[in-house]
Amino acid sequence: MTARAGVLAFLLVAVAGLAVVPLFASGYHVTFIIQVFMWMALAGSWNLISGFTGYVSFGHVAFFGVGAYTGALLITKAGWHWLPAGVAGAAPAAALALVIGYPCLRLKGPYFAIAMLGLNEVVRALVSYFEGFTGGGSGLSLPPILSIAPVYYAMGGTAAAVTLLTYRIITSQFGLRLLSIREDEVAAEVMGINTARLKLYAFLLSAAFPGIVGGFYAWYASHVEPLSVFPLLTTITMIIMCLFGGKGTVFGPVLGAGLLSVFQELVWARFLFVHQAIFGALIVGVVLLIPRGILGVLQQRYQLPRSI
Amino acid sequence: MTTVHITGSMLLQLVVSGLLAGGLYALVALGLSLIFGVMRVINVAHGTLLMLGAYTTYWLFTLTGLNPFVSLVVSMPVLFVVGVVLQRLFVHRVVEAPELSSLLLTFGISIFIANVAMLAWSADYRSVEFLTGSFLLGPIALSKPRLVSFVVALGLTGLAFLFLHRTKTGKAIRATSQHRDVAQVCGINVRRIDLITFGLGAGLAGAGGSLVSVMFAVYPEMGQVYVFKSFLVIVLGGAGNYPGAFFGGLLLGLVEGLASLFLTAQLSEVIAYVLLVIVLLVRPTGLLGGRT
Amino acid sequence: MRDSPILEVREVVKRFGGVTAVNRCSLSLAPGKIYGLIGPNGSGKTTLFNCITGVEVRDAGEIRFKGGRIDGLKPHQVARRGIGRTFQIIRVFPELTALENLLVVTRGPSEAARRRAQELLRFVTLDRLQHEYAGNLSYGQQKLLEFIRVLITDPELILLDEPAAGVNRTLLNELLAAISQLRDQGKTVLIVEHDMKVVMGLCETVFVLDYGEKIAEGPPGVIQTDERVIEAYFGR
Repeated sequence: MTARAGVLAFLLVAVAGLAVVPLFASGYHVTFIIQVFMWMALAGSWNLISGFTGYVSFGHVAFFGVGAYTGALLITKAGWHWLPAGVAGAAPAAALALVIGYPCLRLKGPYFAIAMLGLNEVVRALVSYFEGFTGGGSGLSLPPILSIAPVYYAMGGTAAAVTLLTYRIITSQFGLRLLSIREDEVAAEVMGINTARLKLYAFLLSAAFPGIVGGFYAWYASHVEPLSVFPLLTTITMIIMCLFGGKGTVFGPVLGAGLLSVFQELVWARFLFVHQAIFGALIVGVVLLIPRGILGVLQQRYQLPRSI
Repeated sequence: MTTVHITGSMLLQLVVSGLLAGGLYALVALGLSLIFGVMRVINVAHGTLLMLGAYTTYWLFTLTGLNPFVSLVVSMPVLFVVGVVLQRLFVHRVVEAPELSSLLLTFGISIFIANVAMLAWSADYRSVEFLTGSFLLGPIALSKPRLVSFVVALGLTGLAFLFLHRTKTGKAIRATSQHRDVAQVCGINVRRIDLITFGLGAGLAGAGGSLVSVMFAVYPEMGQVYVFKSFLVIVLGGAGNYPGAFFGGLLLGLVEGLASLFLTAQLSEVIAYVLLVIVLLVRPTGLLGGRT
Repeated sequence: MRDSPILEVREVVKRFGGVTAVNRCSLSLAPGKIYGLIGPNGSGKTTLFNCITGVEVRDAGEIRFKGGRIDGLKPHQVARRGIGRTFQIIRVFPELTALENLLVVTRGPSEAARRRAQELLRFVTLDRLQHEYAGNLSYGQQKLLEFIRVLITDPELILLDEPAAGVNRTLLNELLAAISQLRDQGKTVLIVEHDMKVVMGLCETVFVLDYGEKIAEGPPGVIQTDERVIEAYFGR
């Protein structure tokens, strides 16, 4: 119980510390932490479907992109305030997940991954095609952003919400059932678990948050275009962050996003031209050396509870 | 409003160009299909290997003036070796792992190579100006580089099939892709087969790259489009069904060619995706039948 | 008066490509009894289990449970009607703990479920290992865990696929006692088993499959001397 209190106290201090950052820190640091929040939320969302059920969503950035365009359109064409516009990004992202997930979550193993990879290409193609609405390849420009502190809190809140939700799921029977799908789907079904429905629920949740993050991103970046909001690299980055920290855990995505963001920032600054090659090598390293992730390894070695 | 009047010769033209493109898809997809069939590894780096083949041809042509089609005898062995090295160093460690591992691993390899290529050769578009122009055959125009590439692609695909069916190693590859466990029990060294298969798949990608280089621009990210197309071809033809990959390739070329009559390139991509999902759901074994 | 059957399999056919794994097979199980399903390797026993539980979709015939059709239902729907099963190759959830393996399948309030789970773990003496990952348990322990995972859903019909395979003698006796106990509680059990001693000692009626067809049915003593059965096992 004391360990639990300690963890809780640590979390409270961390959250309180992060909450006051915009009051002191430079714009550079605030911007950096916004990025970290963004990755925490994205990696955490991917974790909800893929870390739990094992279904690899290899096109997760599609939900982010759809949210980004939704936010951008609501702000520029409908004159919405950025906050509700960003949150509204969840709706089309979840709707897309429903339309795609209903048929495609029946696909097993690599085929689901291929279908998701294709989904992203398709959404990008569609966005480029409806030029009149989306600005085509050149995208949409939003009014310049005057103060980034509100975005900081919005993005931080989203990351916290994803993490809290993950905790709630992992400590519930719903979470156990999602894990049982990853472990042995046929056995789960034979034991009376309606795996099709649970997968879909997890998929909807995991798509809704990237939609919100995308909406906030549009406001914060002041510009959206197909190349910037649908790159495969973004999907890979969220996956590798989640994997590095520990998939199927609560704080794995948080840890992974934090560490790798710092790492990327350092590499980016020092090795501007080779940073992608270094990232490639990093991916290979993580997959081969610590596929379970930091928390996964600790969890196994020290028999830590699942809810870390 | 302009109305497009579709004539028979236009249609014929599109069918022919579509099939010409399809021959290349078939060759590239066959390489991916071999790797997927034998190891269940989705090689996301396939397009990058294709790019390396294209640069091999480009440099040989630019520096020594070597005929691009002759350069295949260099690009294929080079890529075979690259494939074997990649398999030996990295890929063999994720063969039995869940698909996430191989997806990420090959993606990591892919961006590593692509960025090293970018550093070494810049992101500039380059071209191999070897064969240009076209000749008329009745009402249709045939692009010379595409026609020759098609014929070469067909020839290489044929050779690959001969290899798979006539040689001991080829038969072992097919056996392993059908029943890995059984093959192992029957005394086939599956690790060695994996090595050869990845080399072969990479070699075919390299050949594809050499052929692409005479038709389109050469640049570090040129291979990306072929990755998803190759998956589509595999799904159409049926996983592990190698003749299926061939017909799947021609079919994809044909569909794309005809779609270009009515749709923009972007929308035809959407159609291709819908086709992919439908085939996966309705006939997971591929249009031509294969195994699941 | 005879009870109406709890499970009725009528003329069920299942083909894989050109191979007919189950060929017009019919069985009828009365409630509260233990039945055996035997036959040489590849005779279609597991496929029949798969058809009953919805893992495979039968090509023809019908399957009724407590009078209602269950063929065409999804596996989880079949399970919820009251059929539980184990697998020939153990299928516990390796990265869930022993306790979680049980809790994941329970329905209803969690406190009662937890109590029942712990009771069952004690019953098979796995209570000390309840927080261990199932994948770290020994083969026999995993087998017991899989068995009580079926029990916790409280099914009326239990299908056991080779419960005795690879189990040591002490464990086997416990398992057999547990199965008899289930019958005494009014459950119906259908067992696929190769160990003839188990079949003979436990089952009231035995069905024999060969090449997907039911070639014999009757009390174990009679089955043992049946010409066709001997032929099926020892060749012709």
